[in-house]
Amino acid sequence: MTMPGDAQQRMESYLGQLRRGLRGMHEEDARDIVEELRSHIAERAAASGPLTAAGVERALAGLGPPEELAGQYITDSLLARAETSRSPLRILQSLFRWASWSVAGFFVLLGSLLGYFLGVVFILVAALKPFHPESAGLWVFPDGANDFEISLRLGFGTPPANGRELLGWWVIPVGFAVGCWLVILTTRLALWCARRYRKSRALPGSS
Amino acid sequence: MKERGASEPEGGDKWEVQLRKGCLELAILAALWDGKLYGLEILRRLESDSHLVVSEGTVYPLLSRLKSLGLVKSEWVESDSGHPRKYYALTPAGRQRGREMAAIWTRFSGSMSRLLAPLAKGK
Repeated sequence: MTMPGDAQQRMESYLGQLRRGLRGMHEEDARDIVEELRSHIAERAAASGPLTAAGVERALAGLGPPEELAGQYITDSLLARAETSRSPLRILQSLFRWASWSVAGFFVLLGSLLGYFLGVVFILVAALKPFHPESAGLWVFPDGANDFEISLRLGFGTPPANGRELLGWWVIPVGFAVGCWLVILTTRLALWCARRYRKSRALPGSS
Repeated sequence: MKERGASEPEGGDKWEVQLRKGCLELAILAALWDGKLYGLEILRRLESDSHLVVSEGTVYPLLSRLKSLGLVKSEWVESDSGHPRKYYALTPAGRQRGREMAAIWTRFSGSMSRLLAPLAKGK
């Protein structure tokens, strides 16, 4: 069955938007999804008679906005990936995709970037302590009469004059432990948010 | 950035949506119990046999997830309609998961039915 030009154009435009939303997924998986939905739209549109632009429009309405549909696939893919690999890089890659179309994804990405950044800083401080024994570590600086400021220093530059180092060599095991804990906690929190989001969006009966 | 604009239903309707949502995975595994089906057939089966009115945009990502979890497998089959169809079938792990979920469902719904019996009689 051939499709009228305007209907074909509308379907391709929708699938193009979906395809862009799926960037970050494996190429083969994304192609498979697009082809499956192409087949679905064509069959759904022809279900009640000849293929028309209105039929295609109804089929597309049933699927919902392409960004949201792509988002469901992306959060599912994020969770499925996490079950096989908990690599923060792969998780961040999926979070960037999620954040590009969803406010919730944007905040989860912000939180995850902050968590991973802090974790990496703790690990770096621990790793650089042997190379900068005088200045790398957890420092406390007096800030006014009763106030103070705590800072993590990687040890580059001259050692601060008015500060006091808190942990000494203990910063190595503590830095590694806290850094790894932060990375693991951030990964778990990001996945928990994705799982919650997926459940809240899987709304039956909204077609 | 865009969020779904439609407001969620209130009160009892919202509860019903949550209930239906929770059943969807089991309903799909059950629909595939007797053999392979493609996406649109699964949707029709859910609507006709279980009265689960399901958004198409919900079922396809869920099928993709069930596949990545190894509960279903898929294959492309040429059709007379002019375009190939992607058929889904249960894997042994999917059958096992379906049996487990069905047992939990039966136990739960049985005990709920006993508890709800007075309400049904209108006492």
